[in-house]
Amino acid sequence: MNAETITKINSYLSFNLGDEEFAVNVSKVLNILEMLKITKVPKSPEYMKGVINLRGTVLPIIDTRIKFGMTPTEYTNNTCIVVMEIEMDNDIVQIGALVDSVQAVLELEDSEIQPPPSIGSKYKSEFIYGMVKVDEKFIMLLDMEKVFSAEDVIMVKEKAAEGEGKIEDKEKSKKK
Amino acid sequence: MDKFRNKFIEEATDNINDLEDALLLIENNPEDKELIERIFRAMHSLKGGGAMFGFNTLSEFTHHLETLYDLVREGKYKITKRLLDVTLASVDHMKTLLANDDLDSADLRTKHTELSLQIRKLIDNDNDEKQKVVTEKPQKDQSKVKSYYIYFEPDSDIFSDGTNPLFLLDELYTLGECKVFAHFNKVPEIEEIDITKCYTYWEILLATSEDVNAITDVFIFVEDQCKLEINEIADYDIIQNIEVINQISKIAEEKTDVGVSEIQKIIKKFSSSKKQSVSLDEMIKMKGPLPSVKENVISSIRVSSKKLDQLMNLVSELVTTQARLSLYAEQSADSELLTIVEDVQKLSRQLRDNAFDIVLVPVETMLTRFQRLVRDLSKELNKDIVFVAEGAETELDKTIIESLTDPLLHILRNCIDHGIESPEIRSKLGKPTQGKIILKAFYSGTNVHIQIHDDGAGIDPEKIRNKAIQKGIIKKDATLSKKEILDLVFLSGFSTAENVTDVSGRGVGMDVVKRKLSEIRGVVELESEINDGTTLTIKLPLTLSIIDGLLVKIANSFYIIPLSVVGKIYATDHENVVNKYNNLIVLDGEQFPFYYLREEFDLPEGEQESEQVIVVSYEDRKIGIVVDEVVGESQAVLKSLGKMYKNQEIISGATILGDGTVALVMDTNKIISKFSQDKFNS
Repeated sequence: MNAETITKINSYLSFNLGDEEFAVNVSKVLNILEMLKITKVPKSPEYMKGVINLRGTVLPIIDTRIKFGMTPTEYTNNTCIVVMEIEMDNDIVQIGALVDSVQAVLELEDSEIQPPPSIGSKYKSEFIYGMVKVDEKFIMLLDMEKVFSAEDVIMVKEKAAEGEGKIEDKEKSKKK
Repeated sequence: MDKFRNKFIEEATDNINDLEDALLLIENNPEDKELIERIFRAMHSLKGGGAMFGFNTLSEFTHHLETLYDLVREGKYKITKRLLDVTLASVDHMKTLLANDDLDSADLRTKHTELSLQIRKLIDNDNDEKQKVVTEKPQKDQSKVKSYYIYFEPDSDIFSDGTNPLFLLDELYTLGECKVFAHFNKVPEIEEIDITKCYTYWEILLATSEDVNAITDVFIFVEDQCKLEINEIADYDIIQNIEVINQISKIAEEKTDVGVSEIQKIIKKFSSSKKQSVSLDEMIKMKGPLPSVKENVISSIRVSSKKLDQLMNLVSELVTTQARLSLYAEQSADSELLTIVEDVQKLSRQLRDNAFDIVLVPVETMLTRFQRLVRDLSKELNKDIVFVAEGAETELDKTIIESLTDPLLHILRNCIDHGIESPEIRSKLGKPTQGKIILKAFYSGTNVHIQIHDDGAGIDPEKIRNKAIQKGIIKKDATLSKKEILDLVFLSGFSTAENVTDVSGRGVGMDVVKRKLSEIRGVVELESEINDGTTLTIKLPLTLSIIDGLLVKIANSFYIIPLSVVGKIYATDHENVVNKYNNLIVLDGEQFPFYYLREEFDLPEGEQESEQVIVVSYEDRKIGIVVDEVVGESQAVLKSLGKMYKNQEIISGATILGDGTVALVMDTNKIISKFSQDKFNS
């Protein structure tokens, strides 16, 4: 699905990773599942949590937090698997993304969406195609295709920023 | 229209393949009438279909070829090597035309004119030769105009593949004078009319000097889709006889159809006065030898591979669901439910076997391309090579066949280029000048083996060794067994050809072959004796989608080990497998290297006292794999882990167990080679 179709549907599913709120266009979202038993695949990257059985198909599960350079997801009652359909190398692939909690479905007009932050800001614009301010909070609209087709862990936040809150502090301390 | 075009392209590809196949066969049996017919038929379908779907260049081009083979068919032209060369080149050209009918590149146009010219030459050439033989014959034919009665009733769905019956009538007009009576009595009431259906049928009187074959040829590619009757009704032109025609038209208007006997009666009535009567007996005699149109019995149907894939998926899901049902029934202890479940199990197993059978394709389907390659390439390299296939009826999953063709072509290229020597060298060595490449396919347990053997020069292990040292692949003082040396050929960047030709020897050869084959879980083995030849054996699984496996447990996760590699299972004490430096274990007095999978998978050490050692075969060795627990045998419907796990080598897929949990299918070969490497490097 390309950017044009995305903008035609104005609903976004917002979810939390730590204290940050992100959103994806609902056209990408197939399903929201409660936590299930995940079968770990040996010798795979840390952010690849394993696979689950989704009605007879094998669905890979990705720990979105690790993928974004945060600490691994701690399973709580709110932890969810968001099943998404993304395009990878011209193929439609289904993946399950672990998120800390699912928030709401937001109806956003195109006019409300601000362009991705420019250079020097707190977030990498590559994976974010827009931002929106809801109740004094910024929600980042993610480009899932880019996020999940990128190999390895990506840094949604620029590393250079300092004192950006505890997530980043944790992340840094973990790195050392 | 595009849909029809695509269908035509599909059919035309079949026809071209059939044509190529027949051409290669006829090379050895130039007298085989049936083959000539087959060639002719394929050409005719291509010509007709091509014209109908706008492949005019293709149609025209094929027309010339057809003219040529018409002569062959009539025995006026002998099958020669030159003729076959030109035809095979033309067949290749036809393939291009099918993809590119507009000839939009200059190269194509040149090739097209060149080939057309060659065909023309062959036809003309032949005309000179045959003139003496058959000069009288055509003249005789011309004076002999006969009348035919044709009953043509197309099937109501004849439009669905784009056939326009009117074009066929037009074609009849080109043969001679025609009188057509169209019947509309089968056209339903207006509200019931389905505009995609054909309700009209025709009776045609045709006066022509052509023989009955020419008429049947008009209908050749609708013959399965219509009722067709062709009868000779008079040995002169009845259309000139106005009285007869008037009478017939009158009946045609009044009655539904006239019928051949009615027409014959009329002709008899009118022609008796003209002393041209043909007795009814003679009529019947004439009718006898005419080709009767066979009943349309469908022995096979064409199904898109997409539908088959879907069927396979559904069957796989059924097997999974059925396993769940069995589990549930066992737990519920309801005897009635248990019997039903048993029936369902039996049925789903049969359904599964059937569905797998459907997607199996014989090895034979690949052979034409191989024949062709051997023929063309050996000629180009001035070698005399014969290609023999054994066990061509051996069947494999169609996806395997698809991914097998390219590697095999490459292997054959190697055989022809490097394997088989030139005739001079061969005779010096006391070998027959004609080289031989044998492709042998056979079943071996749950595997299919494909062997390619050539009786050529063989591979010199010393040469390979030197080359490997030179390329820095192995150390100078490395001691390797002959097999290990031969296996070096499969490493990337390795090519032993002394001079690179355009055929092979680009150094991307055998490693690609090996990789491609391992993608379909195939294993390659190479054996070679200097001057005796080389044998390459490919071992393939029968199908990719279901395997028999051994279900094991490691740290609460389920894994499947393909049963085909499992030898024996031993229980051993925990201490025997941990903290060993040499990773060797003695079982039944035999020593095995082993891998403790908990350790290799970076899992915490197990706490149980007894461990299970599964002895699996790896190449020609036996290696132990240590797991926590062996659960039992299990049939695994293989599911891919998907793109996200594309770098995951040691797990070849996953399967869903009866209770819904996911079990991972191990690729023991990859596991062993990966972990032995890791060990070696550290």
